[in-house]
Amino acid sequence: MLQRSEGTVLDIRFADCAVRFGDKTALFPLNLTLTERRIGIIGLNGSGKTTFARLINGLVKPSGGKVLLGGLDTVTDEKQVFGKAGFIFQNPQHQLIMPIVEEDIAFGLKNRGLKGAEITERTAAILARFGISHLARRRVHELSGGETQLVAMASVLVTEPDILILDEPTNQLDLKNRALVARTIDGLEQQVLVISHDLSLVEDFERVLLFHGGRLAGDGAPGEIIARYRELAA
Amino acid sequence: MKSLYVEGGTPLHRITVRTKLVMLLAASVVLFFVTSPLVLLPIFLLCAATYFTLGLPLREAFGRVGWVLFAILILALATLYFDGARQAAAMALRIGAVVFLAAAITATTAVSAFMDEITILLQPLERVGLVRAADVGLALALVIRFVPEILERYGHIREAHRARGLPMRPLTLFAPLIILTLKDADTIAMAIDARGFRRQ
Repeated sequence: MLQRSEGTVLDIRFADCAVRFGDKTALFPLNLTLTERRIGIIGLNGSGKTTFARLINGLVKPSGGKVLLGGLDTVTDEKQVFGKAGFIFQNPQHQLIMPIVEEDIAFGLKNRGLKGAEITERTAAILARFGISHLARRRVHELSGGETQLVAMASVLVTEPDILILDEPTNQLDLKNRALVARTIDGLEQQVLVISHDLSLVEDFERVLLFHGGRLAGDGAPGEIIARYRELAA
Repeated sequence: MKSLYVEGGTPLHRITVRTKLVMLLAASVVLFFVTSPLVLLPIFLLCAATYFTLGLPLREAFGRVGWVLFAILILALATLYFDGARQAAAMALRIGAVVFLAAAITATTAVSAFMDEITILLQPLERVGLVRAADVGLALALVIRFVPEILERYGHIREAHRARGLPMRPLTLFAPLIILTLKDADTIAMAIDARGFRRQ
């Protein structure tokens, strides 16, 4: 089990940031600064949660305004931003590029210019840290849902980002694997931002954002925001 | 999502990727000039033995090359009809040997090793601005990684047709397959970016 230690916390700043896809506004202009270590994002399907999260590491570019991550502009400093923010996709299978677990974990390190022995060492270390060393030579298509999620997290965290963004990490997982992923997230030293329909996952977080129709409809402590979300969803 | 790589410690596993690719290229060229079935037969048997002793279950081993062998058989029958038995035997043994050797190399080489080697081999072309070597290496890796997944998805679409009692029509089978595959391709491209591929 991971033991949480305190890592770097980056300021995430949205300045008049808006996103449009063609005629459709996915996110209306938003001014917001996030400085917490654990941030939850909730909302109905299509409310703008994923667009919001993808803005943070530059996967989605703002149509207006800007997003700054630790002072870096996600448009002009894209490469540095990718290095600071790790992203776990809704379907983690989509981000496992290599067929064997340890090869996939090495993929991110190779992209950072690391070579041979250092890659092997860091790959082994992250697998051990997550308690999944036994999966090193497994084929990724043979992993269970929980294992896939852990491997996806390990493959991103091996590059030591300052912030980890997880898009519905417990989606389609059974209760046992949900608990496993939740414990793992809890133990991370990184700043963590989680999009989730699983409200129990974010109820102990420091701050929760609620999105509705592309707008920020709530921002505050989990109890209050989750209650408002339940009202909206009713 | 499947890997064609088979764990093992055979001599072929230990040879470098570059040597294996050179071997395959050399074999393909040299065998083209060999016309005697009596010379080709032991070469064919050696290549087949190499492939079948890699540790793959027999059924899977045949499954990987079955369709290619079937195509060779059709070609051999056509050659037999037009050019006689000697030509047909030589053709079948020659192509068969190359197929078994290629399958053996595929089974003993990890995708990442292939990818690294292709990237190195293409560096001269990158220097003159013709290609981006890392992109080609990644593209090859993605083909190996995702073709089996697309086949699996095709199977799911067929099952969905059966479950709903729908007739199997090319349009209703392939349209959803193409749309879903393209949709996933977008996410995969994003994931590659997110994992720093463009930071090289």
